[in-house]
Amino acid sequence: MSRTAVQDNIRALALALIVLFLVTSVGVGRRMLLSPELANDPQDPRVAAVAFDRARGPVLARDGTVLARGQPRQYAEPSLAQVVGYASAAYGAAGIELAYGAALVGQDSTDPLAVLRARYLRERAPPGSVTLGIDPATQRAAAAALAGRTGAVVALDPRTGQILASASLPTPDTGALADPARAAAAWAAARGADGRPLLDRAAQGLYAPGSIFKIVTAAAALEASVLDPTAKVRIDDPFQADPSWGAYAVRSSSAAHGDFDLSLAMARSENIYFAKAALATGGARLAETAARLGIGRAPALDLPASRGQLSRSGTLDRPTLVADTGFGQGELLVSPLQMALVAAAVANGGVQMDPHHAIAVRDGGGNALPTPDGGPGRRVLSADIARILARALVDAVEAPGAFAAGARVAGLRVAGKTGTAENPSGAAHGWFVGFAPADAPTVAVAVVLEHAPRGGEDAAPVGAAVLRAAAGRAR
Amino acid sequence: MALADAGAPDLSTVAVPLAVAGAGLALHLALRLSGSRADEVLLPLALALVAIGLVLVRRLAPGLLPLQLAWLAVGAAAFVAALVVPRDLGALARYPYTWALAGLALLLSPLLPVIGREVYGTRIWVRLGIGSFQPSEAAKLALVIFFAAYLAEHRELIARAPRRIGPLPVPPLAYLAPILVMWAVAMLVLVAERDLGATLLVFGGFLALLWLATGELAYVAAGLALLAAGGAAAVALFPHVAARVEIWQRPFADELRFGASYQLVQGLFALAGGGLFGAGLGGGMPEQIPVVWSDFVFDAFAEEAGFAGALALLAAFLLFAHRGLAIALHAPTTFLQLLAGGLAASFALQTLVIVGGNAALLPLTGITLPFVAYGGSSLVANFVLLALLLRVSDESARARAR
Repeated sequence: MSRTAVQDNIRALALALIVLFLVTSVGVGRRMLLSPELANDPQDPRVAAVAFDRARGPVLARDGTVLARGQPRQYAEPSLAQVVGYASAAYGAAGIELAYGAALVGQDSTDPLAVLRARYLRERAPPGSVTLGIDPATQRAAAAALAGRTGAVVALDPRTGQILASASLPTPDTGALADPARAAAAWAAARGADGRPLLDRAAQGLYAPGSIFKIVTAAAALEASVLDPTAKVRIDDPFQADPSWGAYAVRSSSAAHGDFDLSLAMARSENIYFAKAALATGGARLAETAARLGIGRAPALDLPASRGQLSRSGTLDRPTLVADTGFGQGELLVSPLQMALVAAAVANGGVQMDPHHAIAVRDGGGNALPTPDGGPGRRVLSADIARILARALVDAVEAPGAFAAGARVAGLRVAGKTGTAENPSGAAHGWFVGFAPADAPTVAVAVVLEHAPRGGEDAAPVGAAVLRAAAGRAR
Repeated sequence: MALADAGAPDLSTVAVPLAVAGAGLALHLALRLSGSRADEVLLPLALALVAIGLVLVRRLAPGLLPLQLAWLAVGAAAFVAALVVPRDLGALARYPYTWALAGLALLLSPLLPVIGREVYGTRIWVRLGIGSFQPSEAAKLALVIFFAAYLAEHRELIARAPRRIGPLPVPPLAYLAPILVMWAVAMLVLVAERDLGATLLVFGGFLALLWLATGELAYVAAGLALLAAGGAAAVALFPHVAARVEIWQRPFADELRFGASYQLVQGLFALAGGGLFGAGLGGGMPEQIPVVWSDFVFDAFAEEAGFAGALALLAAFLLFAHRGLAIALHAPTTFLQLLAGGLAASFALQTLVIVGGNAALLPLTGITLPFVAYGGSSLVANFVLLALLLRVSDESARARAR
C-alpha cells in the first residue's frame, strides 16, 4: 500500500461516502417499500386508525344477514367472534375486519386513480362490504351444539371450498373490544382468560387427530395397493410387528379379536388394523399421501391458519412412529380445518378445493373487488379410492355397533368417523369428521371437543347437528 | 397536496417562511459583506435543510417552535462570528492540544456532578444556567480541528511506518498513542455516558481523517476492529449496551415491542406507512413515535414524503458532504484540506448513523439529523461547521487568485 497525496484520499473518501449513502438508501427503501408485513401489522396505529376514522361497511352472511355493522362496530353473531374479528381503535383489528379492512373502509378500489385520490386528496370513497360463505342456520346449529364446551366446529361446501360455519369456543367479547368505553376491560379479559378466546381453534388450533386420521392411512394403503378393502384381516390384541419393539405394542381399540375388513375396522376404529396398514404402506408413502391431503401445510384460507405437523421431523422414519401415526397418534398435530378438508376431498370425489370465507367483496359503488375462490381444485385422491373411502365412512356411521352411531341423522345419509385423541394436556379430545348427503355431498364438517369425557362419542352428535342444518340449506 | 391537519392559520403559519427567508437573507448578506468568495451551494443547501426541519418541528412539536426559532437566531449569530472572527484560519492549527483538551472536556463534561444530566437513559446533557445543551456537538468540532492539526503535522511519520506487522504498518509508538487514546475515550463515552452516537461519530470522524491524512486503509481497518472488539466487550460486560443491540436486532420481539423497542417499532411502522410517495404532509401519523421531533425526524419526513422524498433528502445531505470534500480538494494547505475533509466526513457520518438508526440498519443513537432535527446544540454546531467550510472555501479562492 503506497502513500498517496491527501487529494487522492479525499477523492477516495468521496467515493466511499457515495457507496455508504447508496447502501443506506437501499436499506431505507427496503423498509419503506418491501415490508408489507410491517405496513399490515395489527399493532401499527395506522392500521387501527384506518379502522376507526372512517365509515366502515358491513360484513354479511351468504343470505345477506348482517354480521357486523356500524361504527363502533356491532357484531350480531357471538359464535363468529374469531372469524369476523374486531376493529378497535386501541387494539387494532383481527379476523375479516383486518383481512378485508381496506375494502370495508372503501380504501380498496378497482380504480387506481381513486386509490391515489384517496391518498393524496384525502377523498373518502364510500365504504365497501364483504359477504362471507357463512350459512346462518348452520352457524347457529354449530354454536348451539358447542354451547358450554371448549372446542371448535368448521363446516364447508366440499364442491366450492366455501366455509358454511366456523365456531371456536370460548369466544372473546368483540363488541366490547370495538367499543372505546369497554375496550380496555374486554382486552384484559380476552388476554388473561384461561381458554385463550382470541384463538380461532377451527383454523389455528392444533390437536392430535386420533382415529379420524385413519381416513388418511386408509387412503395411503389403498394407493400403495397393500390394502384390499373387502379382505378380512386377522386382528389379535396386542400387536407387535417384531420383537424389537420391546415393551411397546399397539392395543386394540375395540378390544375384540377377530377378522376385520375396512368398513368394520372404520366402524370399530380398530387401531391394530390401521397400524398394520400403515406399516405395510411404509413411512415414506404414508407421509406423501398425508402431505398431499394437506397435513403439515397451512390451508390457503383468507384468515390465518396453522400448518401443524406430520411429525416433529416431518418424516416417518421409525416403524413405531409409522404404526402410531397410522391410527392418528405419534407426533401428529392437525387443525379442525385441515381434517374438514380431508373429509371434503373424500366427499368431492378426490378433488380438494381451497377453503375461503369471503365469497363477495365489493367497493362502495357495488363493483366486485378481487375475491378468493376455491381455486382450480387439486386432485388429491383418485375417484376410485375416494369412492371406497366414502363407502367405508358411511358404514362407520351406519353399521351395527358403530362408534360413530351418534352422527346418524333421520332422513340423511351421513358418512363420518369419530376419534378420541390422547394428548399430554389432560383427558382425551373428542373428534368427528364427516360429510352429507353421502351420495351427493354438499357439506363436510370437522368437530373437536377438548377433553371430552366420552371422546369421539361426544363429538358425533355435534357433527350430526351441523350436517343436518347445512344439508337442509337453500343452496 | 392537501394540508389536512394544518389547523387554523396563526402566527406560526407565517413564522417558518419568514424565519427561513430572514435567516437566508441575513446570512447571505453577511457572506457578501465579508467579501467572501466562498462556495455558493452550501448555504442555500443548509437553509433548505433548516426549512424542512422547521416545518417538521411545527408539524410534530408546535410548542417547541419558538425555542427552535430562537436557536436558529443563535446559530445564525454563531455562523457570522465564525465567519468573521478568526482572521487567519491556519492559526487554528497552532494550538492543537488546546483543541484536544477542549474537545475531551466537552465530551466528558456530562459525567461531572452537578451540571451533568441523564435524559432518556443516556448521560449526554450539561445544564448551565439558562439551559441545557449537548456538548458532544461542540466536542465534535473541536476534535476535528485537533485531528486535522495533529495529522497535518505528523502525517508523514505516521504514514511512513518503519515496520509492518503483516499488512498493518506500525508507526513509532509515540505517534500511535493518539489512536489508542481516542479509542479509550470513545469506549468511555459508550460505557459511561451510554452514548453510542458520540462514540461512533468521534471515533468514525477520527478514522476518516486518519485515512485522509495517510491513505492507509489498514489504519481504518485496525480502528474498526478496535471499535468492534471494544463494542463486543461492552455488550458482554454492560447490560445497557447489550440491551441496545437486542433492540436493534429484534425490535419486534414480543417482550420488547411494547417496551424497550417501542420507539423504534413505531419508527419502522412510519417508514412502512410511507410507501413510494408518502402520505402527504400532515397525512401520516409520525406523532405516534415518542420524541419524534429530535430522534426520528427522518422517519417522520419519510412517512409523509415517501421513499421519493427520503431519497431527495439523503441526496441533499450527500451533496452537502460532497461540496465540503470539493472544498477540501482545493484547499491551499494540508491542514485546511484535512479540516474541510474532516468536517465534511463527520457531517456525512452523523447523517448516516442517525438515518441508519432510524431504519434499524444500525443500533439507534441519540444524535441528531444535522440542520433538520429539533435541538439547539446541534443547530448551532452545524452552523459553525458550515461557516468553517465556507472560510476554507474562501481561502482557497483567494489563494488561487494570488
